[in-house]
Amino acid sequence: MLRKREKSSITFNMAPMIDVVFLLIIFFMLVSTFASAENIPMEIPNPERSLAENVKIVDRVVINCRTTQMSPDDESGKAVYSIGPNRPESLESISKRLAAARSANPKLKVIIRADKRLRYEHVRAVMSVVAENEIEDMSLVAHVAGLDG
Amino acid sequence: MRSRGPSNRLQTMMDATPHTRRYRRKRKGKSPLVLNLAPMIDVTFLLLIFFSVTTTFRRAEGFLAAKLPKDAGRPVVAMPITPIIVRIEPADVGFGGYQLRVDHFVNAPATAGELVGFLREIHDQPGFSNETPVVLAATPDVAWDHVVACWNAALRANCNNISFGRQ
Repeated sequence: MLRKREKSSITFNMAPMIDVVFLLIIFFMLVSTFASAENIPMEIPNPERSLAENVKIVDRVVINCRTTQMSPDDESGKAVYSIGPNRPESLESISKRLAAARSANPKLKVIIRADKRLRYEHVRAVMSVVAENEIEDMSLVAHVAGLDG
Repeated sequence: MRSRGPSNRLQTMMDATPHTRRYRRKRKGKSPLVLNLAPMIDVTFLLLIFFSVTTTFRRAEGFLAAKLPKDAGRPVVAMPITPIIVRIEPADVGFGGYQLRVDHFVNAPATAGELVGFLREIHDQPGFSNETPVVLAATPDVAWDHVVACWNAALRANCNNISFGRQ
């Protein structure tokens, strides 16, 4: 007796593709740390064998100090200051806001996040403002040491 | 499943209303249970595209602890110990170069890397220790990068009393 030949339909096996896609999603979900809005992109100092620690600091104010200068010798460059992700403001304005924040929270800590190309005088000015407001706890932002040290 | 006898089946068919009969007929037809994967794949691809577009790989940032004097740097009492004053000045060595000078010491280190060993050697000398104040006095025009490099070097040399000075 002759057996009727069965029709084989062409099917697209999606299982490996779904496997790979899920693997990619899991990878991205694990490695993604959503950048804080207060960390404005800039060139952060990268000292040799940095001792900078990636610790969580509460009750903090981040002062971003950016520069418009291309090199330390460029005297036409200006420093641009801002508190966290807010728009740039003058040092007087920053001082007033620090005073208000300090009166609300005496344990306030200040994090100075300055561009590495900035002239020292510009960062020094921020430190003076912080010291005038009697805030002792200050941290400087630098890159954490990599695997190469 | 246990099979019913022919009389039972006939009785059931007679009891059934036209509606239930139609319903049963429908159930009898074998429809394969298919899991519709399309929405899941849609969502999965959306997630994948979101993560691959928003992810930017950045180097981790950390904090170097520092303390500021309470009254804007004006000394209240005279310091009992002579501090180690490290002067950071710009130099014409390469792009944005710098040079170091240490007050009262002739063989000053050339770089922040050398400053670590230099400070450790000073700590071993009589009259000095880890608690000896280290003042980093940079000129206004030196790059912030070099100041942070020297601060990090002082921390590496286990200095416990580091501060910023003015030139």
